[in-house]
Amino acid sequence: MSWMLIQRHLNKLRWFILSVIFGMLILIPFLHLYQTYEAAHAYDLLSPMEKTISDSMEWLTSPFIKDPETELNQLKGTTWSGTLFGLKLSDPLAVVGQVAAGKMIYLPFLLTALIPILLSIIFGRIFCGWICPATLLYELNDNLAAWLRRAGLPVSRHKFDQRLKYLVLVVGIIISMLTSTIAFAAMYPPAILGREIYYAIALSGFGAGMVFFILTLLFDLMVTRRGFCRYVCPGGALYSLLGRFRIFRIKRDVAQCNDCAKCNVVCQFGLDPLRDDFSQECNNCTACIAVCPTDALSFTINIKDQAFQGPGHLGHLHRKHQDKGE
Amino acid sequence: MKRRSFMQKFTLSLGVIGFTALPFGVSRLLTPRLVAEPHRRIPLPGALKDRSEFLQACIGCGLCGEVCPPRCIQFHKSDGGKESNTPYIDPAHKGCILCGYCMEVCPTEALTITPPREVDMGVAQIDRAACYPWVDQGVCGACVSICPLGETAIDFEFGNFYRPDVKDACVGCGLCVEVCPEPSLPIRVVDRSEGKVARHGVGFRQLDKWQGGQRLKY
Repeated sequence: MSWMLIQRHLNKLRWFILSVIFGMLILIPFLHLYQTYEAAHAYDLLSPMEKTISDSMEWLTSPFIKDPETELNQLKGTTWSGTLFGLKLSDPLAVVGQVAAGKMIYLPFLLTALIPILLSIIFGRIFCGWICPATLLYELNDNLAAWLRRAGLPVSRHKFDQRLKYLVLVVGIIISMLTSTIAFAAMYPPAILGREIYYAIALSGFGAGMVFFILTLLFDLMVTRRGFCRYVCPGGALYSLLGRFRIFRIKRDVAQCNDCAKCNVVCQFGLDPLRDDFSQECNNCTACIAVCPTDALSFTINIKDQAFQGPGHLGHLHRKHQDKGE
Repeated sequence: MKRRSFMQKFTLSLGVIGFTALPFGVSRLLTPRLVAEPHRRIPLPGALKDRSEFLQACIGCGLCGEVCPPRCIQFHKSDGGKESNTPYIDPAHKGCILCGYCMEVCPTEALTITPPREVDMGVAQIDRAACYPWVDQGVCGACVSICPLGETAIDFEFGNFYRPDVKDACVGCGLCVEVCPEPSLPIRVVDRSEGKVARHGVGFRQLDKWQGGQRLKY
């Protein structure tokens, strides 16, 4: 029972983690600016704006560290690739892109992606739902689309084939092989977003990636719900493939279900929890668990997806069925 | 009938656009292309020697820029093409201090850990026709005093005070370019094959022709 109570609040925890990661992406460039000011030993030469940044970052970090020049280097990078207290972590997609571009495997770089690969083998697309900084903006964007839909505008109503993103992954690998560059770095929203935030804060000015990202936001808003994550994202395709035989899955308890279909409405990936259809596309966002009024949905340890168990026992369809039987 | 009228309007508008664009195209063809020498962009310390190998290895994460204390590492943004999101150093803006943080933090083999004296980013080249002390227009010595590798890399020429002379140990970090007070930058970081002294002018050109030297790069 207590586990059920915790599960109902996992969505809030997820939003908190997403906000923290997004905040870190903004904070780390400011910390880098502070480091460079410290390294220059020229506080008096800074402009008022730079002095404000330096002072606030000093206020923020001085309780924890003594030497900002070197100690702040322990926490660097983006979700594309970063270093966390000496532990280097990279996106598996970066490894795939590099292997495709260089036609050879560099073992230390492969090892940096080991922990994300293991996590996604166990949990599936957990990166997409819980870590990806673009997810935060995409979900806010989806809320905006819901507001527009409520106002009567026919936005984001199309549907495509979810297998499209595997094609994008394969095409991206082929482009990487042909051009000998990592093509995914230019079209993968978490990589773009982390990099562009750094460019904007520390190097003065967005690059071309931000235009691409805003186009994907517009695509989601106008054409299809969470369209980029569902149909285009090559990283999502890779994580889906890795998490095909994942251990933790959301399962519907048919005895508790009352067929209210709130889970289907709230699922931004367009899955069908009401008919036990979570497939490999589920990104473990736990929104369906949070919205379920009868606590019928919960995380379980299952290698395979459940087949359709029939209408929920608390719903009218099941009752009608029983009446007919008797 | 509707489709036909649409096609007619479509071709008509295309024709109008093409006809108006024609003078611009012709003028573009006729005017000579004047291209100023771009800022020299040098590779990072410890970067793979082969440029295409570097592009295969670099994933564009930006970690090298995030640890750089002088913030000298810039990134190809929208002008990069194949090199977009990969790092470079513009020594005219800021030079590398050879601290080695970028080589330590790089997750791939794009930057390998190299001791400061074995780094090879190029070599400093001095244009002796533009450097103040070389044309007897003053005393300077900024490049010699800033050099992190000391007198093995750049030193005053023997018996000629304040005339800088690049030596073999120069790794091309570009700090001398950053501090050079002359706006035309008589010192710049170039590839090692281009030599430590800029060769141009009538006499040098003739000399090159006699020696059968390579094409002048200026």
